Amino acid sequence: MSKFDKGALFLGLAFLLFAILVVFVWVPLDTESGLLQKVRRRWLIGDALAPSVAGLMIAVGACAQIFEGVTGAQRRQCAGQHIPTPAGGLTSANLGFALCALLVLLASFQIMRWFGPAAVALLGEQFGIEASYRALRDTVPWKYLGYVAGGFVLILASVVAVERRLSLRALLLAILAPLVIAMLYDLPFDDLLLPPNGDL
Amino acid sequence: MGYWDHVWLGIVAVFTANPVFEIFGLPIGTTLVMVAAGFALGIVVGATPGLAGPMAMAIALPILISIFGVRESALLPVLGFLIGIMKGATLGGAVPAILFNTPGTPDAMLTAYDGYPLAQRGLARKALKTAHFASASGDTFSDLVLFSSAPVLAIAVERFLDLPEKTGLIILSLSFIAALVGRSPAKGLISAGLGLLVAYVGKGEDFYPRLSFGQEALNDGFPIVTVVLGVLILGEAFKSMEALIRGGPEASTQAKIAEATDNRFGFAELRACWRYIRTSAVIGTAIGALPGIGSTLAATLGYAAGRRDWARRNPGKPGFGTGRIEGVAATEAANSAVSGANLIPVLSLGIPGNAAAVFLILAMESIGGFNPGPSVFKLHGGVTGEVANPELVVVFGIFAAMMLANLLNWSCGGLFMRWVGVLVHVPKQLLLPVVLLLTLTAIYVQLTSLTAIYMTLGFGLLGYVMRRLDMSVLPFVIAFILARNLEDTARQAFAATGGDALFLLHSPLALAFTLTAGLVVVLAIRRARMADHEPLDRGH
Repeated sequence: MSKFDKGALFLGLAFLLFAILVVFVWVPLDTESGLLQKVRRRWLIGDALAPSVAGLMIAVGACAQIFEGVTGAQRRQCAGQHIPTPAGGLTSANLGFALCALLVLLASFQIMRWFGPAAVALLGEQFGIEASYRALRDTVPWKYLGYVAGGFVLILASVVAVERRLSLRALLLAILAPLVIAMLYDLPFDDLLLPPNGDL
Repeated sequence: MGYWDHVWLGIVAVFTANPVFEIFGLPIGTTLVMVAAGFALGIVVGATPGLAGPMAMAIALPILISIFGVRESALLPVLGFLIGIMKGATLGGAVPAILFNTPGTPDAMLTAYDGYPLAQRGLARKALKTAHFASASGDTFSDLVLFSSAPVLAIAVERFLDLPEKTGLIILSLSFIAALVGRSPAKGLISAGLGLLVAYVGKGEDFYPRLSFGQEALNDGFPIVTVVLGVLILGEAFKSMEALIRGGPEASTQAKIAEATDNRFGFAELRACWRYIRTSAVIGTAIGALPGIGSTLAATLGYAAGRRDWARRNPGKPGFGTGRIEGVAATEAANSAVSGANLIPVLSLGIPGNAAAVFLILAMESIGGFNPGPSVFKLHGGVTGEVANPELVVVFGIFAAMMLANLLNWSCGGLFMRWVGVLVHVPKQLLLPVVLLLTLTAIYVQLTSLTAIYMTLGFGLLGYVMRRLDMSVLPFVIAFILARNLEDTARQAFAATGGDALFLLHSPLALAFTLTAGLVVVLAIRRARMADHEPLDRGH
């Protein structure tokens, strides 16, 4: 059995390093005034003080965490009840999930961003439309295209990931839910813009 | 204008201002309708596993702002709706716990300990009625304590605390939240420190935006909506999605159990439960008034106190956890009593105590015209002092909205609660992605920028990682909200004391607050160490 609680110790050390970087590197390099500054012969609190205090708070928490890491496991060993700390843990599987989830979400929003303009570029001529997407972003059906396409990918990918199969129920939900949400925001309110129409 | 004039104006603002329709010539105000709608939605949300009050508040806020705009008259309808959700969700949370043993929150888990065995014996309706009565009682008691204590506390703060003392008080609140929320004070401190750091990105006093890495998008800092919704809502959604992916889709089949003949909640039941409701309501209110300590601890303490009391009075009989309505009553009264008392620090100090309070402050900040804190309780407005203080009118409007929600709770909450049991069958794997899309859309329509969405995703990832590390996200969010207030008060105190770097140590009260802040952290770390020594089998 290990003498220390490695998870807690590592977490504490990582945050201590982060706090040191914040206080001694990030804050000095990325703020204009120091901790205190003299303006018209009066001392005032500078912009660097508050973030430095935040860094200090992280450092204190990190030191307490290291202390827990060093003493916690020892005490449990002494008491003959070596148990994992409530630290839980961030496993590689967790990180893998987070990465996948983030990729799905980013992909959904990229589809949301580009689907409408791409559809106008590809289909505009067939419908006799010469205007750009920007000019059409407040007209039906163009204004819904990106949102519904991106929402479809987001919902379908999420449901399929959990159910591990493609079902008709998932497909219907992925089509209907973005449509209903789009109507919920768009029909009653003239001044609201659905994603991505405010950026285009 | 006097105190009672403000009370009257607040009541009028809720009940009759901007009437939506009339009943027998009586105008029905917009806020009244919004409280009722919010309350109904809250019960639905609370009864749906995978959803929670704060999630519904997050989604509703931008829609409400779109409907009512960001003018002063929008405050009460929007806050009324959010208060309705807050109260309804607390009540609705008992439904899945009792009917299907699927508690949506940790405190509802304690309701399930006794509620589900009752349901299995065909006494689900009795358990639901008990939960409703206890919840409404706890909630009403807590609100009455709020109405009487918040003004007194605010007036005391305004009269006795100057800038150094106010700085000390914010430091004390922060250390309290950091040290006592979650299981590890060390992680609480890290969480609060991160919240402060994120809040200080962007505009300070200098022309150059601090900590922005030269990125234009960060010049004004992170929008509060992206941080709060990202960490609180998306982080939780990611964690739930992962649990679903690893555990497989939810089964939604439940065996039908025949109803028992006696499902009443009559005088005999009331007499049996009253003792536990009374104790739990006091415990819940006391816990709720302390910033950062949520309903889970209140429910745990209320349940534990009730269980001890019952065992002492009824030796040899099967106790809590075997299907006793007293157990349901003890838990529900305690967790419901938190919601009203939680607004004591919000209204009197401007310090949010839990996630629901965070969204109320978010609404106040988004709409403007109301800055929660001791100054809202000032009696006189205008230059001559003859004009009503609009912020005090809003406070009494909030109180009136809360009482209205309580009336709804007593009159039709129980009935509505029993109707929504069917929602428990909506599979979480279908609900979560829709909620995710709805939340991100809500952020976009408010900020109209994909950059805001990407920021929210980033904070969602941070919230997920923090949860995986068993690091509570509430200190992060509350520190983020209090950060600017802390810095501004400290700047003013420093300037007002002529550049005295030790301004926190010269006033006895400020010194007391600062020392207590340190003491709270040290004691919490010590307590956590001692808890490590305790045997694991504490039972439930």
